[in-house]
Amino acid sequence: MIVRLLPNFLIGLREGLEASLVVSILVAYLVRTGRRRQLPPIWVGAAAAVGLSLAAGAGLQLTARSLSFRAQEGFGGVMSLVAVACVTWMIFWMRSQARNLKGDLQGRVDLALVGGGLALGTVAFLAVGREGLETALFVWSAVQAAGSGPAPVAGAFLGLGVAVVLAFLLYRQSVHLNLAVFFRVTGAALIVVVAGITAYALHDLQEAALVPGLHALAFDLSHIPHLGADSLLGTLLRGVFNLSPQYTWLQLAAFLGYLVPVMALFFRPQRPARSAVAADGPGPVRRPTEVHASR
Amino acid sequence: MTGIVRIAALAAVGLAAGAGLGGCGSPSEHRVGVTATDSSCRPATTELRAGRLTFAVTNKGTKTTELYLYAAGDKVMGEVENVGPGTTRNLTATVPAGDYQLACKPGMEGSGVRTDVHVSGGAM
Repeated sequence: MIVRLLPNFLIGLREGLEASLVVSILVAYLVRTGRRRQLPPIWVGAAAAVGLSLAAGAGLQLTARSLSFRAQEGFGGVMSLVAVACVTWMIFWMRSQARNLKGDLQGRVDLALVGGGLALGTVAFLAVGREGLETALFVWSAVQAAGSGPAPVAGAFLGLGVAVVLAFLLYRQSVHLNLAVFFRVTGAALIVVVAGITAYALHDLQEAALVPGLHALAFDLSHIPHLGADSLLGTLLRGVFNLSPQYTWLQLAAFLGYLVPVMALFFRPQRPARSAVAADGPGPVRRPTEVHASR
Repeated sequence: MTGIVRIAALAAVGLAAGAGLGGCGSPSEHRVGVTATDSSCRPATTELRAGRLTFAVTNKGTKTTELYLYAAGDKVMGEVENVGPGTTRNLTATVPAGDYQLACKPGMEGSGVRTDVHVSGGAM
């Protein structure tokens, strides 16, 4: 039982983390900045992605068909690239809001958010949906196997469940952070995540032969014990940061080509807001003009 | 903002199209069972007819596996990942006549356990 449970658990955990962490950060952001009423679009976007994925996955797996390989990989790759664009937009949107949060500017922020609901729902939809079909196919394959033993389906749902619990704990922890710290930590973490998604998307496109260079490996650490794709550490690295133990040169170039400039842009000194954000926490002595120059 | 909404609409259409395609696979496609373990990768037959092929891989091992169909030079003709122990998943690809290798990758790493398969004749 356990030998079949654990690997299925790890797949569920990885896929679940990939889908839920970006959403949990987005939710934490909205709650942290006092905008709970912006949450419904997020739940709608995430639920729509789950529903569509499960329906599409059922249509394929339960009728024992599959999309042609190139179609599925190409679809996954393109969805991931769209998710990259959207989450990048979200990161910088959060950043731009960060300096407008306090006091008399609150009204302006809320005004800007009227159209923001749709955009936020879209981010949630893509964050969950980009790998949703693959996750749904896996889930249905585990459900199908239930006839010959409960281990796969139990493992799959335990993994997904633990992923959701971890995402919730991340949310709980992050809402207690000092606001300035919260913005920096979640922003930087999201940038690493999105760099990982970029590399991941390119791997899909390379496998679909839409982009060359699949066999030109920059590094391959998958043979190292406890780092492979089916190990716990490998699962967490992939689930949380979308990092895989094996990269092609093109993936590595895409990863760094995203990470370095975007990180630099994110931490570039920002024009000071008309009112200070720093009022939120103790922190080091800050004059308003220094708030965003401090990293 | 509207750009993002438009992208979302496209993505939704894409997902829905994926769902639709599931129902309309060609009835003439050939299905081949593949049994994977931690050390073997056995198709029900190694002589196949060219066309749209679906490999239904069942993982009877203890490690998560992947199935690849490689043409010469390890060109990927098809792949399915996340085949958990005890589960069966499908790999569909349109395959012209020629020599290929099926590779199961227990632990989802390395170049895999390979079996030669030969695809002949057949109308595409």
